Amino acid sequence: MIQRLRSLFRVLTRRRDFEEGMSEELRFHIEQSMDDLMGSGMSQEKAARMIQAELGSSINIKADCREAFGVHFFDEFRRQFSYAARLLRKTPAFTATALLTLAVCFGANLTIFAVLDSVLLRPMPFPEPDRLMMIFNTYPKAGVDRDGSSLTNYYERRGRIPAFSSLSIYSYGTEIVGEPGSTERLQTMRVSPDFFSTLRLGPAFGRTFTDEETTSETNHVAILSDAFWHQRFNADPNVLGKQIRVNSVPRKVIGVLPPSFRFLSSDARVFLPLASRPEDRAPSRRHSGGNVIQMVARLQPDASRAQAQSELDAQNAALEVDDPQAKMIADAGFRSLVVPLRADHVAAVRPTLLLLEAGVLVLLLIGAANLVNLLLIRANGRIKELAVRQALGAGWGYLVSEVVVETTLLTFAGGLLGLAVGAGGIQLLRGLGADRLPLGSRIVFDARLAMVGLVSAILMGIVFAVPVAWFNLRRHLGNALHSESRGGTSGRGAQILRHSFIVSQIALAFILLAGAGLLGLSLQRVMAVSPGFQSDNVLTGQILLPWADYPEAGRLKFTENLMDNLDHLPGVLSAGVVSNVPFSGINGKSAATVAGHVRHPGESARGHYSYGVAGDYFRAMGFSLRAGRFLTADDSRRSQRFCVVDEDFARYYWPNASAVGQRLWEGSEAGKDAEAFTIVGVVGGVKQAGLTENEAQGAIYYPYAFRIGDSVFVAVRTSLPPESLALTLQKVVRQIDANVPVSDLRSMDTRIADSLVTRRSPALLAGLFSGIALLLTSIGTYGVLSYAVAQRRREIGVRMALGAQPGQIRIQFLSLSLRLLTAGTVLGLIGAWQAGRAMRSLLFQVPPLNVAVLAAAACVTAIVCLAACLLPSQRAAQISPMEALAEE
Amino acid sequence: MDKSAELLPGTLDMLILKAVSLKPLHGYGVLLRIRQISKDALEIPQGSLYPALYRLEHHGLITAEWGQSENNRRAKFYTLTAIGRRRLREETAGWNRLASAMAAALSATSEEV
Repeated sequence: MIQRLRSLFRVLTRRRDFEEGMSEELRFHIEQSMDDLMGSGMSQEKAARMIQAELGSSINIKADCREAFGVHFFDEFRRQFSYAARLLRKTPAFTATALLTLAVCFGANLTIFAVLDSVLLRPMPFPEPDRLMMIFNTYPKAGVDRDGSSLTNYYERRGRIPAFSSLSIYSYGTEIVGEPGSTERLQTMRVSPDFFSTLRLGPAFGRTFTDEETTSETNHVAILSDAFWHQRFNADPNVLGKQIRVNSVPRKVIGVLPPSFRFLSSDARVFLPLASRPEDRAPSRRHSGGNVIQMVARLQPDASRAQAQSELDAQNAALEVDDPQAKMIADAGFRSLVVPLRADHVAAVRPTLLLLEAGVLVLLLIGAANLVNLLLIRANGRIKELAVRQALGAGWGYLVSEVVVETTLLTFAGGLLGLAVGAGGIQLLRGLGADRLPLGSRIVFDARLAMVGLVSAILMGIVFAVPVAWFNLRRHLGNALHSESRGGTSGRGAQILRHSFIVSQIALAFILLAGAGLLGLSLQRVMAVSPGFQSDNVLTGQILLPWADYPEAGRLKFTENLMDNLDHLPGVLSAGVVSNVPFSGINGKSAATVAGHVRHPGESARGHYSYGVAGDYFRAMGFSLRAGRFLTADDSRRSQRFCVVDEDFARYYWPNASAVGQRLWEGSEAGKDAEAFTIVGVVGGVKQAGLTENEAQGAIYYPYAFRIGDSVFVAVRTSLPPESLALTLQKVVRQIDANVPVSDLRSMDTRIADSLVTRRSPALLAGLFSGIALLLTSIGTYGVLSYAVAQRRREIGVRMALGAQPGQIRIQFLSLSLRLLTAGTVLGLIGAWQAGRAMRSLLFQVPPLNVAVLAAAACVTAIVCLAACLLPSQRAAQISPMEALAEE
Repeated sequence: MDKSAELLPGTLDMLILKAVSLKPLHGYGVLLRIRQISKDALEIPQGSLYPALYRLEHHGLITAEWGQSENNRRAKFYTLTAIGRRRLREETAGWNRLASAMAAALSATSEEV
């Protein structure tokens, strides 16, 4: 078989050689036999006649040879191809409409498919990625759905859960890397020694971390990403053993990862050992996850996820037996969940992507229905020609292959244009934030995508050929000649087919429009939600202070310095520092214990958003004060501990009394009296994770000195446009320490807008898709109606000659389009209802069946369709009976 | 020509394979060789010769190469491939079985019945 294909390929690529060889071979044969026959004394004339008689016509022989070699199919194909190309060139309006439709539909589909492929389909770059599992602790009854894992979990589970072949932990971070003066802030990962063996993808050269390197005294080693190795070390093959400075601490390079290494969406450049002290691994720290450390494990080849889950549950139960906090942990609904790594990573965007994919497939269906209709109309115009050719002996196989070649040529050309549109569409999606999706940075326009596009274009061409070929061959020859010559009406079947395509187009466009309307309305409702503070004119940025240079006292000093410098700047109204701003994307909660609060049975310690604030943070952010006072800079310097809570917190614990004056402790248990914080004020509730966050978990604001953490955010309220202050802010920080960068500089308004990207972009795309769908539907309706008018010219002419008024004719066609529209809208309503139910999880305060949205969609669809019908109906009414009848 | 027999369907391919198995030949040479080895007893339909050669080449049973003929003209020479050799062996065995069976059947006398 392969041999045959190869010889065929050789012949096709050198077709002229093949033909010439064949001629030469026959010529040789004739001359040789001539020589032989004349050598035996025959006259030249007689010899020639004899050869002619024995050999037969050389034209026939050549044709037989071509067929024997399988070449004739390609000759046939080439002929049909150029015939189809000629026909398409002859009808530029049809061809242009079809190509544009295909380009837009294919382009949109490729674009969305590229995202879907990258996020949901393409395997992660590790061997057997489906066996990788994410494990995290959850305390649902405490309002903490996800708390990562603790170091204790890791050391207790490692090697003790038989269903896992390997188990490891990691945490994301950003560190300052480089020598003083040329530092940069990079994404990093801290990983346990078995992280790479769990993924089964380790360094391209060098080694991984060892267990000995997991203490803060011995962890001065680093593994580099391929990109960082290229960028910083110029791909130096002798990089092993060299030093790099991470957070001012020199570390030895011990390995370089392969270029393909990419863990989920992380862009980590440097990998460090996840070091800890023995006391961090103690049983008392078991529930101290805080969503910082995550656990990833690989299932044994023969183990199932359910098996791993039950083993983990059994171990947790055994460990809780002698845990003093066992009761509280159980009350919080504690469990450790085992979930597939990738599915977990993309869970939040999966429904949106599937919805968009469905929308774009609907668009493709509309485009396809449109094209089939146009093709059918076109085929009808050629029915006579085909009938004549059939009568002259063209076989049905030949006619079918002619249709297939034509439709495939069309869809293939449309597919090529679609590739260009798709490439542009992917750029557009980047602008809409697609690369910020989980695994979104892998979205590329590559050969794989182009293949998918072109193969589906060809398949589509073949599918399109089916109804057209059926239409061409369906009717009896004589009948066709007969009906056409009389100029009668078209076949009933073909008309029903055309009309049902129009109805389904209208229905599908209606569904898209209604879906887009629901998404748009949801977006509007989300944007109307107040974040709880005045988000205008606030600039925020993150400052990363390396622990080596800034231990706790240093951090406090730095923030005080910063506040002093900022307060005096022109344009700064107030400035503050906080451990975490709202909408930062960091959403860890921690427990607090309120003095005098007796937990009722089943109630656990609750997770609250907890912040450390310094400077005039509350005024800078525009918080509202409900009772008492805000924290001031002095609260950080006092030994007496004060804090501020939000109204949700206050309402939960003291529904009928004032919170001011009450006391609480950090952590899940009451501490010493001296460590208690006294509430001095109550502020308004603020959205932390996003505008749609609906659980009011409550928040506590501590003076910065009592809650010093990794990250420091600065917030500045200004009388100027907030972005214009960015450079000034960076300069002020650099004056304090030239090696400390400010990153993630965004106004609060921008942060809120960015948090809506997963709602806004789908709504925009859905709107775009339904716009295109409406346009396609109107083209389709217009085409079919115009055709109906053209076909019935004679009938209309006769009726008008018999006294029908133009108005009656117009009404007749308009009522036809009204019937189609009504049928389409009714079907669309059913579809939109189902679609609304399917997308319920994406809606915000909008019911799946929203009357206003449906009514608006119906109105828009009706206006567009009727507008498309108006022109053909008008044309019908203006037909002159004389001309119509004279045309025969 | 009256002494020559018509070819049975499918036997031309076998004869071509046999002819080129002895020595690489050009198309006209194949014709001469079949006449020679069949002692002029078989009539070759010349119009089918070249399509048959092309079919055998396309199926990989023979390969073709341009070379010089005995009288120094450019000619296409066909050679048997390994697949072709195997096919020839199988077909020869099959033919022999058929021929002896036919012979036995046709020579049956009334005593043997």
